[in-house]
Amino acid sequence: MGGLVLLSLVLITVSFRSSALDGAQGTAASILRPFEVAADRISRPFRDAAGWAHGLADAKSENKKLRNQVDTLRQQLIQDESAVQENVQLKQALNYKGPASLANFNRVHTAVLTNPLSAIDESITIAAGTDDGIAAGNVVITPQGLVGTVDKAEPGVSRVTLLTDGQSAVTARDLTNPAAVGIVKRGGGDVLVFDRVPKAPYVGVGDTVITAGSVGRGALPSMFPRGIQIGTVASQSNNDVNTFKTIQLTPFVNFANLQSVIVLVPRAAGAGG
Amino acid sequence: MDGLKAALVLFVASLFQLAVLTEYRPFRTSSIVLVALLSIALLRGSVFGAVAGFGTGLLLDTATLGTLGVTSLLLTVGGFWIGRYGETTARDRFHAPFVSVAVVTVLYSFGQLLLQFVLGQPAPADIVLHALPLGLLLNLILTVPVYALIRRLFPPQELGDRVREVRLLG
Repeated sequence: MGGLVLLSLVLITVSFRSSALDGAQGTAASILRPFEVAADRISRPFRDAAGWAHGLADAKSENKKLRNQVDTLRQQLIQDESAVQENVQLKQALNYKGPASLANFNRVHTAVLTNPLSAIDESITIAAGTDDGIAAGNVVITPQGLVGTVDKAEPGVSRVTLLTDGQSAVTARDLTNPAAVGIVKRGGGDVLVFDRVPKAPYVGVGDTVITAGSVGRGALPSMFPRGIQIGTVASQSNNDVNTFKTIQLTPFVNFANLQSVIVLVPRAAGAGG
Repeated sequence: MDGLKAALVLFVASLFQLAVLTEYRPFRTSSIVLVALLSIALLRGSVFGAVAGFGTGLLLDTATLGTLGVTSLLLTVGGFWIGRYGETTARDRFHAPFVSVAVVTVLYSFGQLLLQFVLGQPAPADIVLHALPLGLLLNLILTVPVYALIRRLFPPQELGDRVREVRLLG
């Protein structure tokens, strides 16, 4: 028992302080991958059946809500498409040099191997790694919005730290009012906090918050490209004591159950600005 | 033979935990791996429990690309302690698996929190405290089928298997 405890402590020290064991760990994780995939495939029909039964109960009310949403979004899409065309034309005409956008990244679509293991764990593992060009620091998204960043990349497998982790933070801005710039970080449970937003800019409930990116080529550019959706403002308030607004966000991404994600791999050096 | 069976059971439990249970948020508070390990430790003793705990922890840390040794340390101590409890007092009592799972679930949660804190990683005590009652309940519910299954796979040893030394007195 004493020997095993000592060995555990040695492993913690070596694993935490150096990357000496990373190669072995990555290889072992790759060996485990087929078993995880097999377990996932075996259990998939049962989970699909459970999901289908659960979805059936909410289908009617959700159908009505989604039809209304489709009508609204159709109108918005027409306006957006014309704005995008105009934007592209103006950028070309002005030879505009802006911050990195999603267009500067290759997308690696990959499956989620494991979701967070415990209540305090806020990381997932994905079935893509250095073989696919993924490196630590790459941004991870889903079609719904921002998920987090790659924390550790090994051949064939990587670990992603979610935005809901206490150590994650991203510079963000209000889409409606671009002057409202702050930092999005973990709130409590599924809620995120939009912190460091000055009191002056107006931020409304329901506003969409996106990644701010960074302009120019400073010494420490943001690794997140501009324009990735993060969430909507759930509540906001001002307090005489606090210098900044208190804003809570509801994330677009359902961090509780991620099935697949997209890793943004910079196309060229420096694209991650 | 017992070692092979234990390795297989804990490997399957780990895969089930990683690939299935973690997809449902409430089940992230519970751990079928912990329940399976404690059941085996209770039936097979402290050294067996400690070795099984170490191996299982290593497997989980490897699969999640986490800091190696963290889960091993917690499960080694948990496996050893419950194995010792089974050897000395309560292996055959009805409440033994439930008491073991309840106590170790609480200690495991706080141990995990403490290690996270020591390693300088986020250690949100509020999340642990909120998740603990549900985790405790789910682990106790899981104990019923898991312990029954493991008891069939690891039947209580005969007295002859447990006695390692005979000293003649008089």
